[in-house]
Amino acid sequence: MSEFLPPARVRAILRLAQPSTRRFLPGLAAGVASALSAVALLATSAWLITRAAEQPPILYLSMAIVGVRAFALGRSAFRYLDRLTSHDAAFRQLAALRVGVFERILPLAPAGLANTRRGDLLTRLVRDVDDLQDFPLRVVQPLATAGMLAVVSVVGVWLLSPLAALGLALCLVLAGVLGTAASGSVAAGSERELAPLRGDLADRVLELVENIDVLTAFGVLDARLEGLAGADDRLRLATLRRSVGVGIQGAVLSLFAGAATVAALLAGFGGLSGGSLPGPDFAVIVLVPMAVFEIFAVVPAALGAWRQVRSSAQRVADAVPTTVPLEIPIESDADSGRDAVAAMSAQPVLLLRGVGASWPGATEPGVSGVTLRLGPGERVHLAGPSGAGKTTLAQVLVRFLDYTGSYTLDGVEANTLAPSAVRRVVGLCEQQPWLFDDSIRQNLLFARETASDDDLLAVLDRVGLGDWTAQRGGLDARVGERGALVSGGQAQRIALARALLADFPVLVVDEPTANVDEAQGDRLVRDILATATEDGRAVLLISHTPVPDELITARVTLPA
Amino acid sequence: MRPLDPRLLRYASAARWFLVIGAVLGLAQTLVVVVFSWLLSQVITLAVGGHDVTELGPYVGGIAAVVVLRAALVWLLEVAASRGAASVKSQLRTRVLRGVAERGPDWLAGQQGARVSTLATQGLDALDNYFARYLPQLLLAGIATPILVLVMLWQDLPSGITVIIVLPLIPLFMVLIGQATQAVQKQQWESLQRLGTGFLDLVGGLGTLKIFGRERRQTERVRTITEDYRARTMKVLRVSFLSGFVLELGASLSVALVAVSIGLRLVDGSLGLGVGLFVLLLAPEAFLPVRQIGVQFHAAADGLAAAEEVFLIIEGGPAAGTAMETADSAKTADAADAAAPAVPASVTTPTGSLRFDAVTVRRGTTVTLAAFSATLAPGRLAVIAGPSGAGKSTLVATLQGFVPYSGSITLGETAVVPGGPRPWLAWAGQRPGLLSGTIADNVALGAPGVDKALVARALDLAGGGDLDPGTALGVNGDGLSGGQAQRVAAARAIYRTLADRCPVLVLDEPSSALDEAAEGRLIAGLRELAAAGTIVIVVSHRPAVVAAADLVLQVVPVSEVPASAVSLGEDAHV
Repeated sequence: MSEFLPPARVRAILRLAQPSTRRFLPGLAAGVASALSAVALLATSAWLITRAAEQPPILYLSMAIVGVRAFALGRSAFRYLDRLTSHDAAFRQLAALRVGVFERILPLAPAGLANTRRGDLLTRLVRDVDDLQDFPLRVVQPLATAGMLAVVSVVGVWLLSPLAALGLALCLVLAGVLGTAASGSVAAGSERELAPLRGDLADRVLELVENIDVLTAFGVLDARLEGLAGADDRLRLATLRRSVGVGIQGAVLSLFAGAATVAALLAGFGGLSGGSLPGPDFAVIVLVPMAVFEIFAVVPAALGAWRQVRSSAQRVADAVPTTVPLEIPIESDADSGRDAVAAMSAQPVLLLRGVGASWPGATEPGVSGVTLRLGPGERVHLAGPSGAGKTTLAQVLVRFLDYTGSYTLDGVEANTLAPSAVRRVVGLCEQQPWLFDDSIRQNLLFARETASDDDLLAVLDRVGLGDWTAQRGGLDARVGERGALVSGGQAQRIALARALLADFPVLVVDEPTANVDEAQGDRLVRDILATATEDGRAVLLISHTPVPDELITARVTLPA
Repeated sequence: MRPLDPRLLRYASAARWFLVIGAVLGLAQTLVVVVFSWLLSQVITLAVGGHDVTELGPYVGGIAAVVVLRAALVWLLEVAASRGAASVKSQLRTRVLRGVAERGPDWLAGQQGARVSTLATQGLDALDNYFARYLPQLLLAGIATPILVLVMLWQDLPSGITVIIVLPLIPLFMVLIGQATQAVQKQQWESLQRLGTGFLDLVGGLGTLKIFGRERRQTERVRTITEDYRARTMKVLRVSFLSGFVLELGASLSVALVAVSIGLRLVDGSLGLGVGLFVLLLAPEAFLPVRQIGVQFHAAADGLAAAEEVFLIIEGGPAAGTAMETADSAKTADAADAAAPAVPASVTTPTGSLRFDAVTVRRGTTVTLAAFSATLAPGRLAVIAGPSGAGKSTLVATLQGFVPYSGSITLGETAVVPGGPRPWLAWAGQRPGLLSGTIADNVALGAPGVDKALVARALDLAGGGDLDPGTALGVNGDGLSGGQAQRVAAARAIYRTLADRCPVLVLDEPSSALDEAAEGRLIAGLRELAAAGTIVIVVSHRPAVVAAADLVLQVVPVSEVPASAVSLGEDAHV
């Protein structure tokens, strides 16, 4: 039953999502109380009516009347309590879950998360983490509630009629096992058949929508639409073929709910005619199975949620390995090398000799045999076609990736220093600088937390964003989610402003013009190098596009 | 939110079918519930009354048969819902994509392409739950609840009246609670949005934070953000869960009221046990669909939100195609007075010089390209330059017919009007826009067959002679580097120039991702094509490209154009 027992690393993730027993129990208790109230409401009502028909003195019914009213209130009140406490517990656990995952990501990021470098995959990872909340809420709790209710109900019926209890227990087990097995195999089978068709359709839709200008210009739009209609048809017809399996679980539950009622009837007849079972008790054992099965109906939904939660956990476990890959330098002790860094000159010499590096999981090195020297105040252009390993080298220089060969700062081998110590000397403007969904101020301030607003405005002026900031209404203007309100060029300039604030002696700038149009790109490169010249900062400018000779002091070209 | 959007029925005929089938099945389910409850109450009454087991046999057999029938109906309704959802999704998807195709690239540029494609695939999947869980309950609320209430009224008037009084209170309270929830949500909305994405922000920005040595304290920040998120969400949930509370309370209280009232009347002998049990069993069934609607509300909301977005695309504004038809019929004075009839270009490919005369493009009230005039003769390599935002790409879009404009564009003796095919134009945009298939398939896009020799030659002219035409690419040309993709895109335009003898070749920033060597090979190729008589137009800022040009056309930003030059007469194309 691999469906129910995922591998250990997936279970480790799921454990992070499950609240502690102390937090989980109150919600579960309220849930069980609500479910029991629902069953008791029907049982008491049935007993009350059947007993009343025997026309006893009204006194004999008063307990039942109170019970009916209490269970009616209890069912809804406990349910409300259940939802509040269990959601609160799940949300509290979310903090622990996110921190747990975050702590595993911390040593890996960014190079060790290579598979999530694409923005949509990163979003996916974060959404998967958040979806794990469903594990306690929609998997564990409903299943535990249904299970406990089933046990208590069977015991309750047993007290009245052991035979009827046996019938109920049998029907519950059969419904659970058969329903789950049927729906499991149906779901797996249809996923096998439908997933590739769905993927094919999604690819075609994506290509059509994203390249509609190309398809129109080359006169193939109609042909593409036809091809897409064909893919759509294949998916639709396959879904229709598969549809017969969809309702099996619901039908099985409904069937066994009825079977349990019939079984209770047959079991009860004997007791009734033998005199061992009073009429009102007979009514109870016949009607209770209906109420139990109504609550048992959450099981299919819980199993569906389980399948989703399990694949979310699987993806999280895949994306965030527990062991740091060999290619990623480990932050052993933040203080190691701090003295060595402090002893360095204000403008250390960066020297690479035969440096190579690989991305985690890659079979071939991303870059190899790089030799270059970056002295104080020098501006070196690192050129080379795309794919030559320029970005890999940038990740090496800030110690996101480990290296072979020799990389020294003022003669000190970089791998003898803590990676974070190296990053105090060598800064990086990333190819896609990350902008936080916050104000311009907050997007700069973390680079130098002591900076005043005047410092920030001055640095924005230096990177050519002075007017832009003023137009946007000052430092409080927001940059939008993932910098949605900011163009590619402006994002690069904000990144440059951060680097200037942090005042790195050595600055690596990785493809600043990758997401900027040509005209802006040229100005951006000029501005980056001009600020470096003013400060006497050493800059390694990584760019596949040409850089005018007068702006740089040297050029190194990586071979393809 | 309307529980059933009439547009769903209008745009997806499969939804109408599902409603009909669902109504029939819902009616059958209701009858089965009534029969089952009646049989069960009878058999209990008879058994308690001391009747012999043999007399009860037929009733038990009847119950067993009804149970099987009920299971079959449950199954059929789910199957119908699943089939309905599949067909409706397919119909809506087709309409969305047709709508997108009709409106064209210029319209799509204003949307988020990725969002449209997500909507057309996973977005629509939200309708699965709407059909499977919500719509059937909606039908049952309309069919089962009234029938069951009528049966109760007929069997036992007081019980029926109790249910009739309690039932309407539920939606009333739901609306009140819904409003209260919205009020709470509004207070929290912005912080909830920000806190919701806060974790993503920290994970995504972790690399950046590490560069600045700020990764240490972030763990605490994750905890704070999430804790804040919990506190605010719980404030909203405390109110919104009340609606579930009211639903449950209404349903269970009316069962309690009915049970107690029946019990009391049984004691004084004014009611029979059979009727009493029958009504007791029907009471919760009458509330079941309404409760299910409450439970499935969120599943429905997701589905309807997706459908709503689809409707916006299907209905949103006039299609560009329609706008252009009116433009064509209205167009009389301007281009026509140049004695240049807009012949369907497929008849003959026009040749001669390409002439722009005061071409101006407006988006709403803003002018994005101002009074551009130029004449380009065959055999010339022209470079279009200008600061970003000056309208260079807009100018290219006028040639492609993607945007309406005023002024005139003529190729030889033929007027170039928006819309329609462009057999005389080969083009490569800023984005490579490659498709899955081999490099050769991409280069020969739109041609009836793949001419291998011509593919090799086109790649060569584009500076991509080193690329293997047999290389298979993934979706959206996945598998090539930026520079490689750019050269394949240029080769694709060049192939069309060569194969169809297109007189005009337009490349928009074709060397932005190329190193100098590759750029040099591309420029040589373009010179060769120009020498063969093609009008080659390159939008570029690169010094090497500008240096190779026969003429450089400056596109001036709108703000620097004298107002008189921009003012448009009645002769606008649109």
